[in-house]
Amino acid sequence: MSELVWQHETELVTVVTVQKKQVKRGLSVIICARMRRDLGLVLLLLLSAAVESNSISPPGKPVLVGCRSPEKETFTCWWEPGSDGGLPTMHRLYYETERLEGVFECPDYLSAGRNSCFFDKNHTAIWVYYYLTVVASNALGNATSDPFKIDVVEIVKPNPPENVTLLLEGREDSSYLHVSWERPHNTDTKSGWVTIKYQLRVKQENSNEWKEYMSGTQKHFNLYSISPGVTYMVKVRCRLDHGFWSEWTNTTYVKVPNYLRNEKPFWILVSTLSTIPFIAAACVLVMKRKYVKQYVLPPVPGPKIRGVDFQLLKSGRSEDVISAFIINQNFSLTTGSKDQTEEYLIVTENENGIADPSNSQKRKKSLIIPGFCLDSEPPILNDCEKSGATNQEIDNYVKSLSNMKPSQLPAQEQQCNFVNADATGHQTSNYDNTTQTFANSSYVDIQRHMENIQEVDVKQVDYRRVKEVNGDNILILPLNSSGCIDVQRPKDNISEDYSKVKVVDSDNMVFLQKEKVSVDTSCIEKGIYYTNFALQKPINTSKVEVCTEVINSEYVDTFSAPPLI
Amino acid sequence: MRRVWFAVLALVYLEHLELSMKVGTAPICAYGQAGCHILSLADFFDRVIQQSSRMHGISSDLHSEFEQYFFPSKNSIGKRKCHTYGILTPDDKENAQRLGREELTEVILRLLEAWGDPLSQLYWSMSQDQNQDFNHYSSNKALEISDMVHELRDGVEKMAEKMKLLGVLGNTVSYISPESLVPSSALSFYKQGEFNSLDHHDLLYCFRRDSNKVKNYLQILKCTTLPGLDC
Repeated sequence: MSELVWQHETELVTVVTVQKKQVKRGLSVIICARMRRDLGLVLLLLLSAAVESNSISPPGKPVLVGCRSPEKETFTCWWEPGSDGGLPTMHRLYYETERLEGVFECPDYLSAGRNSCFFDKNHTAIWVYYYLTVVASNALGNATSDPFKIDVVEIVKPNPPENVTLLLEGREDSSYLHVSWERPHNTDTKSGWVTIKYQLRVKQENSNEWKEYMSGTQKHFNLYSISPGVTYMVKVRCRLDHGFWSEWTNTTYVKVPNYLRNEKPFWILVSTLSTIPFIAAACVLVMKRKYVKQYVLPPVPGPKIRGVDFQLLKSGRSEDVISAFIINQNFSLTTGSKDQTEEYLIVTENENGIADPSNSQKRKKSLIIPGFCLDSEPPILNDCEKSGATNQEIDNYVKSLSNMKPSQLPAQEQQCNFVNADATGHQTSNYDNTTQTFANSSYVDIQRHMENIQEVDVKQVDYRRVKEVNGDNILILPLNSSGCIDVQRPKDNISEDYSKVKVVDSDNMVFLQKEKVSVDTSCIEKGIYYTNFALQKPINTSKVEVCTEVINSEYVDTFSAPPLI
Repeated sequence: MRRVWFAVLALVYLEHLELSMKVGTAPICAYGQAGCHILSLADFFDRVIQQSSRMHGISSDLHSEFEQYFFPSKNSIGKRKCHTYGILTPDDKENAQRLGREELTEVILRLLEAWGDPLSQLYWSMSQDQNQDFNHYSSNKALEISDMVHELRDGVEKMAEKMKLLGVLGNTVSYISPESLVPSSALSFYKQGEFNSLDHHDLLYCFRRDSNKVKNYLQILKCTTLPGLDC
């Protein structure tokens, strides 16, 4: 028998050896009597042995099952042998490459175990096709497998990652799971030969589904959505470039401790305690709601009108309302007290021109009615006039007046002469600035203040009308009843005009501003007219022209004087 | 109306982003600030590697489609050669590392240069083919990889220039087109009579392999030039 160490062959040898011994024994014992029978038996046995050893055949065809490269530098191939044909069979692997001519045999049958062939670095070429065949051979024949074509790049499947560690990190309420691992030790990423990508999957212990995450080239991963008190299972795998995925690592377990439950009673206590003051405040507010309401929403005060009874108004009786309003009306009488001495006539709407009595003496101004008083007795100072009027001035004026053509005046019943030494050019010094000019008055509100002079009429309020204007800025104010000025109306229907009052000099005199040149041609003919009478300065111009002019202005009611000339 | 405007603006911006991603040649630090050069070279590498990876992925898909439709038997023996067989390429790690940066760059450029024309012609040929259903998507992919090869070639060239400027690459890198190494008409190499799907398959297989080589060489180049975290 051969010395091969094949298992089945040794068995055969043993069997045959045993049988042979038995045959020998049998022969020695039954030698005479049963020589023929034993011989037959022996022959039978030998034949059976021979028959057994005759089921030998050439080996069956082996099959190459696959190859694998764990790091793209070496690779291993495995095959499956066919039947061995009863004889010890040898298998050999042969390969050819694109690059090299010739057929080569497997360099290493042992390193990778039975029915395998390991190609080390020296024998491995990338991007090159290998054509592999396995040949099984025994004493009776050979069997060749089908050729197997591989490119190393296409059979890359790495080992699984190593040393998967799980760490629980972060604060108690925001903790996360930090998973880390290492690359399989035989891969070379440092030179850039391969690029490893990782994938991990996580499962809760009592769940059935794995969650998968890609980690790219990182060797760590953070899991943020973890629940406390749960055990997690983690696995990692990897692949090189575009190759196959490795096997999953063994499962690593980690249990997340329970934080929240220990803290729950504490938080419940805190929350209940904090609600007590709020409840107390709410009760207080409810009980004292009236005060609260008053404080927060004070009543809106109603309208207040002094002297008016709101309730009365609300009751809606109109007469009472109106009377209420009227009662309250308090028109101030525009007179001063009796103490006040006013020598002059103040024509104003707004003001009380109160001047000292002493001043009034200086007041010379008065309205001049040229011609008015000419007829009559020499100019007298009206009792309305100031007593201080100098006679001289009056005389002067009268003279001047007499030089002039007398103005025609409408016959008037009572005419008073007004003497006014007012010549604007005259003594300006005599005139105070107390003459007041009044721009707008339609009606002349004459205030007659009380004077020390007894002849003063105590009329308080009076209205005068301008009767006539003879010269420039001359206003005629006839007084009535006091004997000074009569308010007289012209007999003829002369339209009344209004003039602007400029200056009020005395009680009886008012200077009008001549606004326009009147239609009266007499003035023009005369060529004397007064044009520029400054409002503010009482006496500026020197001329006192007598001109019968009609001053037409809208302010002071004037009588248009007929032409005097 | 505002939404429409916003959508339009967003689209324009995204498109601009995508376009700028494709080019892969513009450095980030344009003004050469100190410490900026190294950074921009790393970006160069990243973009180039990214593009080559994408190119390889598309070519693999295309090749698999062909295999699925036309060649059900995987283990067809046919020993075929690629038209770039004349370009000597390192076929394992040690050889690649032994080669050095300049030669490695040269190999990359030669490979990319050799595939410019064949891919364009492949696209043209595929678009002419009768089998319209299959070829519609495949011809788009063929067009895409044809464009990418040209872009990648330009990108690697510029990157090599930059490396020369930085002094990490010697001046021996030449850009001679590998006409002597590659058959002048690449397609005729694959043609067996009429250039048909069989030839497409061979050509695609060859390109798939070469694109993988390019990607791997670029990675080695990166890690030898800029050893860092990724390597």
